Amino acid sequence: MEAAEFLQYVIAGLKSGSIYALVALGFTVVYGSTGIINFAQGEFFMLGGVLTVWFYGLGLPVPIAGLAAVATTAALGILFERFALRKQRSAGPLVLVIITIGGSMVMKSLARHLFGPDELSLPEFTPGPSIDIAGAAVERQALWVWGLTIVAVVVLWWLYRKTRLGRAMRACSISHDAARLMGIDTARIVMVSFGIAAALGALAGFAVTPLTQTSWDAGAAIGVKGFAAAILGGLGNPVASVVGGLVLGLLESLSVAFISSTYKDAISLAVLLIVLFARPQGLFGSARREKV
Amino acid sequence: MRGTKVLAVVAAVLLALACLPVGGCSVDGAAEGGEGSEPYRIGAVLSLTGTYAGLGIPEKNAIELEVARINDAGGVGGRPIEVIYEDDATDAAKSQAAAVRLIDEEGVLAIIGASGTGQTMAMRADAERAGVPIISMAGGSVITDDFSEWVFQTPWPNRIVVPFVLDQMAAAGHTSIGLISDTGGYGVDGRDYVLAHAGEAGVTVVADETYNAGDTDMSSQLTKIRAAEPDAVLIWAAGKEAAIIARNARQLNMTQPLYGGSGIARAEFIDGAGEAAEGVRLGTGKILVPEAFGEGTESYEVATSFISRYEDAYGTKPDIFAGHAYDAIGLVADALGRIEGEVTSDSLRDALEKTSGWVGIDGTFTYSATDHNGLTQDEMVLYIIEGGTWRLDR
Repeated sequence: MEAAEFLQYVIAGLKSGSIYALVALGFTVVYGSTGIINFAQGEFFMLGGVLTVWFYGLGLPVPIAGLAAVATTAALGILFERFALRKQRSAGPLVLVIITIGGSMVMKSLARHLFGPDELSLPEFTPGPSIDIAGAAVERQALWVWGLTIVAVVVLWWLYRKTRLGRAMRACSISHDAARLMGIDTARIVMVSFGIAAALGALAGFAVTPLTQTSWDAGAAIGVKGFAAAILGGLGNPVASVVGGLVLGLLESLSVAFISSTYKDAISLAVLLIVLFARPQGLFGSARREKV
Repeated sequence: MRGTKVLAVVAAVLLALACLPVGGCSVDGAAEGGEGSEPYRIGAVLSLTGTYAGLGIPEKNAIELEVARINDAGGVGGRPIEVIYEDDATDAAKSQAAAVRLIDEEGVLAIIGASGTGQTMAMRADAERAGVPIISMAGGSVITDDFSEWVFQTPWPNRIVVPFVLDQMAAAGHTSIGLISDTGGYGVDGRDYVLAHAGEAGVTVVADETYNAGDTDMSSQLTKIRAAEPDAVLIWAAGKEAAIIARNARQLNMTQPLYGGSGIARAEFIDGAGEAAEGVRLGTGKILVPEAFGEGTESYEVATSFISRYEDAYGTKPDIFAGHAYDAIGLVADALGRIEGEVTSDSLRDALEKTSGWVGIDGTFTYSATDHNGLTQDEMVLYIIEGGTWRLDR
């Protein structure tokens, strides 16, 4: 295999991988502050795409439509936490997880009802032929996907490490009770983390729609991939989720290159299982006490 | 406590909204038909929600349009047609349950449906048990390959479309082809026919790649196809992934022409692929450009009349799925009109099987005791996408 061809596979892997990474980050942010898996995360991805198309259809330019979609989805994430989940917090994680599954069904049905059953399209941010890098073709939109992923990761890192809010979120992820005793409004932190998770999912949906189109049922498949990426990297650790996403994308692409596209998903799943047997905390997760 | 009540109300509203599109069944048609004449009751099992909602909705539109037209013109032999709709939510278990309900509770003469192949196959056992004919609008070859005397089919199955497209590719001098197909029912069925008929058509499949529904990037598969240096690439896929493939191929600077079948014969493919759709060729039926029927022919008149009535009613051009449904209800009405003596599910089945030269949208149908699809490659035409729309190739 030529170097240029190999590079093409790597680029394809990083392209899918950075999308998985953004969705995985959403899982991680919610898990970090609540200890639950939010199965509606894929729907935030879908909403980011369909709402951008809807705002774009109203005549807004693409970047503004995207921002509006991300903001709307973040607001929906906050409302979802406030009205569907908060009252049931004492009922335990299993009930909360089931509520997120129900929430994802409601969002899907509403999206189908409001935006129709067909695929929706969005123009590329900067249309034009692909860019040649050492003989491999890179789509311009892929550069946008990578750029937005990097921005999101940097902002999230800054938020976690440099702000009071971030410190409070980290405190919550260590112990809710201790955080509350220190005067942290844990309920607010949980709500904010749902907002951030929804925004991250929506950002991914916005960035990828020009490449893939979107539709009301786009969330389920990407939700599974993002979840796998988060587990692979190590739930609760943002950097690990990003690496998990990129590794998953590369695994899929290189499986096509060296083995067969038929077994692409099976191979990624097998690697995921092997990692979990060897390191239940994920590739980069710390082996700290499991929270309930 | 008050908070809990608010929550309950919100939950109830959300649930109600979520359930709205899944609402069981609705009746329409001219139940009020003239002088107390009993209507012919026909069931329709469609995917109005779920993955195939994009098929079921235009199908329902077309059936409603045709039933209204038939009833306004006095019905069939003075009796109106009444259609009882059921939504299977793109779920085979629900389509089976819907078929049972239509047969046992509504006592329908025949069932139009389902929208999908899996959903159609799930209704078969009950239709055979009760002796009620099914007219499917799904394209899976298995529907009529795995023959049942009670099951009829309106679209062109892959059995007809695949050899047509392969012949066209060979005729254009593309003797080595790269294949990319999805792992769903449509893609697997198509891939089997491509591999089985390639030799006969004189083409060699030099790359055979697949992807899963929901995948967001197919450039790895295309990189592999490109390395095999085929003359052309055949996409056997449906849904938004097909548009991603066309885009990826363009972005990888692949120069090979792209071909496809009925799965990409949708406006959404052109919208999604944008520039990359230009020059893509596809083989399917003639409804996309009715001139293909030949101006002045009966088929042309039937198609243009349906297209203009559909556009007036719904504001968009009918797609191929609306055509499948036009044919399904039309074949039933035609068969009902030819029955002499008592109209039962049995006599309707026999009349359907004797359909001969009925002119519809998907083609001119002639059913027989061994052929319940009734179409041939003559109904196929090759399109090329140019200027964001379909044109006849050559």
